Amino acid sequence: MSALLELDRLSVDLSISRWPLRTTLNILSDITLTLARDETVGLVGESGSGKTTLGRALLGLQHISAGTVRFDGTPLKTAADFDRIRPRTALMFQDAVASLSPRMTVGEAVTEPFRIHNRPMPDWRARAAELLEEVGLPADMASRYPHELSGGQARRAGVARALALKPDLVIADEPTAGLDVSVQAEILNLMADLKDRYGLSYMVITHNLALVRHVADRIAVMYLGRLVETGPTAEVFSNPAHPYTGSLIAAEPKPDPRKRRTDLAIKGEIPSLIRRPSGCEFHGRCPLATARCRTEAPALRDIAPGRKARCHFAETYQKQGA
Amino acid sequence: MSSGANRGIFRSLMRDPMGAFGLILVVAFLIMALAAPWIAPYDPLKISITERFQPPSLAHWAGTDQLGRDLLSRIIFGARTALSIAMTAAGIAGGVGLLLGMIAGYGPRWLDAFLVLMFDSMSSLPMIMFALAVITVVGPGTGTLILVVVLVSIPGYARLIRAQTLSLGSADFILAERVMGASSARILARHLLPNVVGPLVIVLSMDIPVIIMLEAGLSYLNLGVRPPIPSWGNILYDGYTSLRAAPSMVLIAGLPLVLATLGFTFLGEGLRDAIDPKLKVRVPR
Repeated sequence: MSALLELDRLSVDLSISRWPLRTTLNILSDITLTLARDETVGLVGESGSGKTTLGRALLGLQHISAGTVRFDGTPLKTAADFDRIRPRTALMFQDAVASLSPRMTVGEAVTEPFRIHNRPMPDWRARAAELLEEVGLPADMASRYPHELSGGQARRAGVARALALKPDLVIADEPTAGLDVSVQAEILNLMADLKDRYGLSYMVITHNLALVRHVADRIAVMYLGRLVETGPTAEVFSNPAHPYTGSLIAAEPKPDPRKRRTDLAIKGEIPSLIRRPSGCEFHGRCPLATARCRTEAPALRDIAPGRKARCHFAETYQKQGA
Repeated sequence: MSSGANRGIFRSLMRDPMGAFGLILVVAFLIMALAAPWIAPYDPLKISITERFQPPSLAHWAGTDQLGRDLLSRIIFGARTALSIAMTAAGIAGGVGLLLGMIAGYGPRWLDAFLVLMFDSMSSLPMIMFALAVITVVGPGTGTLILVVVLVSIPGYARLIRAQTLSLGSADFILAERVMGASSARILARHLLPNVVGPLVIVLSMDIPVIIMLEAGLSYLNLGVRPPIPSWGNILYDGYTSLRAAPSMVLIAGLPLVLATLGFTFLGEGLRDAIDPKLKVRVPR
């Protein structure tokens, strides 16, 4: 497998200035992550951990302060570089209805990429019907307006538009948010089918661990704008190396209430980006925190082949079998 | 492209009695203005001293003025003057405001700051004083009137459009266009424009009576349309000067002003209710 997308020490800073004060917030810092061809990476973390910002930064929608994005081996630096790869990337929005232009019919919306990139399209109605059929929507949907669609239909239309130009990389921001469980499953199956058919790579951004477990080959856990753990999904789920990952997994609802682990529940709120904690940023909420964690920031280090964690005590934590 | 949506707006406008009334009045005035030469019974400029100050009669439905000109014909041609000035001015001001507002709302921040400063300084001028100053410099006339109205109205329209553009600029569907690689020109023309013109149409329709009143007011003061071209304002002035000889003239000249103001205002309010989806009660089909 060759790398399709490589993020190297990516940082996004936002400066908030209220004269005479000036604060710089590290929304994302030091993100190093690769996405192989045909791979699905699940990006998980709490609200405010920077997942969505990362998705936007790697599409060039957010100013990147440091680090590089490589797509298919080519570094993307200028806006023109990002524009060049637009036809090969797509973004699926969390709010599918809002991502469709309210005064455009669904048929016009899904064929929009062809018009933007001046791709030949002899009969746009036929093309729209084709694209809609591919995502399981009847052809007569083409004449509907977004507000006339159900959540699941809008999501399918969003998938149809994202895949119109057969991109290589699809970034899916909460692809199942706000859908019924049965519809969630339909959307996931649709995404999986299309992946097999066109050899797509997905980056799935979500806080839904069940979803990640179901679709992702690898998982990347974010906390406060940093990656705290990456690795193959099954291994990370069965034996997490970072206490934060372990707590997230423990916080998942379990069918059997006796299997719930309350001792691992994460205490408190996610800290403020304005005043990042010293040392390991998770120390205030970590069950294992020691004096060392309060002063010394851990690096994201290799703990096993293909696995990385940002914790001083990753090995101890794993041995405890938390 | 959005003919379906427009048909819905028309239908809900007609369902609203005030909106329908406004629309009918506006259409009536438009027909009056466009077909003035054919529906006016007399030449509005033809002087006939022997027939001066006639009360309303079968020959002259609205009577005659101090020069024996047929008042009804003058009012019909006055509609032409009023509407052509109001719609030209509103059209130019709306167009320029739309362009500047969208540039300010979607363009770079420094340009936005500069344009907002311009709008603010322009709208800090008191309208009537500004109008009088311009008339003093350029001289009275139809062109001056349009110029004044355009300059005074641009900031309001531009600010409205800027606010609309700003709020839509960060909407997901605009972001989606950017991700797909659409150019700024395409986003502005194909996606922002159709979504920001709605409120502008409403405001323009409500501002047309204001412009008609301004034209009448300035013409009344002999600073607007030059006689003998008929304008509701100078008919009103003639009526005022001959109040004793023909008391009905003032009333007759005032009536079209009232009706035009009501018509455009009702139409504007009806349109606002029809376009704003939050106020719309959807009837299940």
